[in-house]
Amino acid sequence: MKRRRIAAIVTEYRRYSHAQHILDRYLFGYSWDGRHHVPDAELVSLYTDQRPKGELSRDRQKLVPSLTIYPTIAETLCRGGKTLDVDGVLLIGEHGDYPFNKKGQHLYPRYEFFQQIVEVFRRSGRSVPVFNDKHLSWKWDWAREMVETSRELDFPLLAGSSLPVTRRIPQIDMPLGSRVEEAMCVAVGGVDGYDIHALEAMQSMVERRRGGETGVDWIHAVRGTDAILKALDAGSFDRGGWDPALFRACLCRSHRLQPPRRGFNHTLPTTAELHGLLTDKDNSNTPVLYRYQHSDGLKMSMLLIEGIVHDFTFAARLTNQPRPLSLQMFLSPREICNFFNPLTNATEQLFRERRAPYPIERTLLTTGLTAAGIESLFRKQTLLKTPHLDIHYRPTKSSTYWRN
Amino acid sequence: MTGTTGSETRRDFLELATASAVAGSLTGIAAASAGQDLPQKPRKRIAIITTLWAYLRHGQHIGDRFLVGYPWEGDWHEPEVEVVSAFVAQRPTDADRRIREKEFGFPQGDLAPSRAREFGFTLHKTIAGALRCGGKQLAVDGVVIIAEHGEYPYNDKGQHLYPRAKFFAEVVDVFRRDGRAVPVFNDKHLSYSFEKARAMVATGQELGFPMLAGSSLPVTWRMPEMEVPYGARIEEALTISSGTSLDSAGFHALEAMQCLVERRRGGETGIRRVQAIEGPAVWQALEKKRWSHELMARALSRADLVEGITLIDARTQDLAAPGVLEKIVPKPQAVLIEYRDGLKATLLMLRGAIGNYTAAVRLDENDRILSTKFLLPPEPNVAYSACLAHHIERMIVSGVANYPVERTLLVSGLLEAAHDSRASGHRRLKTPHLDVNYRSPLASQYCRT
Repeated sequence: MKRRRIAAIVTEYRRYSHAQHILDRYLFGYSWDGRHHVPDAELVSLYTDQRPKGELSRDRQKLVPSLTIYPTIAETLCRGGKTLDVDGVLLIGEHGDYPFNKKGQHLYPRYEFFQQIVEVFRRSGRSVPVFNDKHLSWKWDWAREMVETSRELDFPLLAGSSLPVTRRIPQIDMPLGSRVEEAMCVAVGGVDGYDIHALEAMQSMVERRRGGETGVDWIHAVRGTDAILKALDAGSFDRGGWDPALFRACLCRSHRLQPPRRGFNHTLPTTAELHGLLTDKDNSNTPVLYRYQHSDGLKMSMLLIEGIVHDFTFAARLTNQPRPLSLQMFLSPREICNFFNPLTNATEQLFRERRAPYPIERTLLTTGLTAAGIESLFRKQTLLKTPHLDIHYRPTKSSTYWRN
Repeated sequence: MTGTTGSETRRDFLELATASAVAGSLTGIAAASAGQDLPQKPRKRIAIITTLWAYLRHGQHIGDRFLVGYPWEGDWHEPEVEVVSAFVAQRPTDADRRIREKEFGFPQGDLAPSRAREFGFTLHKTIAGALRCGGKQLAVDGVVIIAEHGEYPYNDKGQHLYPRAKFFAEVVDVFRRDGRAVPVFNDKHLSYSFEKARAMVATGQELGFPMLAGSSLPVTWRMPEMEVPYGARIEEALTISSGTSLDSAGFHALEAMQCLVERRRGGETGIRRVQAIEGPAVWQALEKKRWSHELMARALSRADLVEGITLIDARTQDLAAPGVLEKIVPKPQAVLIEYRDGLKATLLMLRGAIGNYTAAVRLDENDRILSTKFLLPPEPNVAYSACLAHHIERMIVSGVANYPVERTLLVSGLLEAAHDSRASGHRRLKTPHLDVNYRSPLASQYCRT
């Protein structure tokens, strides 16, 4: 059988860029199911929007002569011909020198690349599956349009972060049909970069709740040590914070919990110690909290709190369950970043089966939440109604995170 | 049950104070937790016997778990044991302190005195004193021996001569004299000497106290979750370690593999021959198929700390492809093991290729291969030691060890034999003394919750 041929449209192909992680896995294989797995789809053409010093695209072309680099997106998709000549497209618009807007959003040209891709589809009268790394776009209207276009042209669209598909500690999923009252993710990083990861991690869990996804009614984002300390002391979601049992469970699932006391390597910080860590002059990171509520009443808190933890943990309170369901979304160390293995494998599945292994609506919702969270911060940290996020979908029945 | 020491009142006060301190440190996080309540029944009293209580040494990161608690099943677990006394043999040397101050960025030293003050236990100058809490009779319900790290000599074979057997002998001397024995945990191998290790286990059996020993690797998380079906026929097993020290890293890897293979049909019956090889001989052995190339490939694939070309330009790499290991592993070591029932097993030490502990097992059932990584979460939390602390605590509270000490006995002997082989010009040594028979527990004991 002829190998499926894949085109990659990326912002930059340098060490540690998402393009490097995903495309190298296509070119050189990766660990999957206890083997070194080489994708059965072949990366044949590449467009790199930027070429920073030391970038790797030309080096990779030398190593893999069957890979051709083209100067435009259209040529990459048509492989020098006049019409679409690949079986799938990887759109990786993460990293690179792009401007920020006044809200702090990094204006990666995912939508613009997508438009050029679908222009080729339209012109060729044929469409192929597309994977979009991370959120669909920084702009909600564009993201919605991207999903609508995929429906109009009838091609499967997969998107999002590696967090929903990476390994978990322990190896569990939200039981399908669970009654979830409140959920929380405690993670690291900043807005418009890591919020999407945390939101995707949470959404991949709570979308499995009873009734499926019904959208989000409002979001309220706050930033800064004082705001986070206030939320920490609030004692409940309704009082402006979160359920302390969920926060505690998240900290207990962390494997990289900052020791508040010198000489102690692993303790559960007290509230006073958390105050100390957050106000420590050496901790220059700005903590961020997105609080939002789904239209079925589910309460959510996304806390990015670098200096307290250095990993991604999740906890949820389920009706009539004495203890929270909690876990860590495992991010293997840098250099190899093996959490890209299940993400790359999901793209392979997309191309092989011409069907997205999990719903694009998840990432549409998290894209909308990311934009709305940043908007809330921009509007002086006020609560925003989100009637546009009335996104309804059902999760996959079987789990899609990495277990093999 | 507990011997009286004449300071019962003071100790009661300390118990109360310590319990409150532990509970108080937790309530800030979650009012919903049970942490506010004082334990219903008196906690079991333990003595910690260690070589060194210094930051991120075993004595500290395991010992502290019984003082400050540890994460367990998504909650912070308050230990059901209470440290009442300790014996700490050494303090960090000035040279060691300086190195570690650089490493961690804050002053390093002997943490035992400050721990004793804060948590209300007493440091004793002798092991007997610690076990008797300064009185005349054994006054603890459990003993935790952590004799890893510290300034101890090496023998000609490269074994670090930690005084585990010596500490243990002093512990059982108290048991014998006082006519009562309590559960004993021994961190890592029982002894550098199989003869001593076997005597330790025999003493445990003679005096009828539960013993638990070994590494965290058998009980830490596995990625992915994997267990050998109980009673499976196993054809071959292989484990890979990133370490360079056969004595230290080798022990962890061998015990990790042993906890998998001991579940095979017929149970454990011991080891017939052991050979340690190193350098180019390892590549020759690879070529001669002294171990399954496929098992090695599977175990390598489980690593997520990958070296080789990945360090150069981040590229992913098939470490098992022909010629790759030879290029990137400058000092390979291997231990080739023949079990008495015919099982063949291999330890590969491949610093330069991967930075993890992994294993693969070929079942004799449709040639099925199982493989996994033994997860070692990073410093400073080293969360794996919480998994070990859980099993230590369970043994002391319940009086039953969750897994057999014979596992650690066999691995202690295997490790000594590997050193003997290495010291004797890498000869393939017969090991008739390693006729260690035992059955592993049916239930998996590694962390999955």
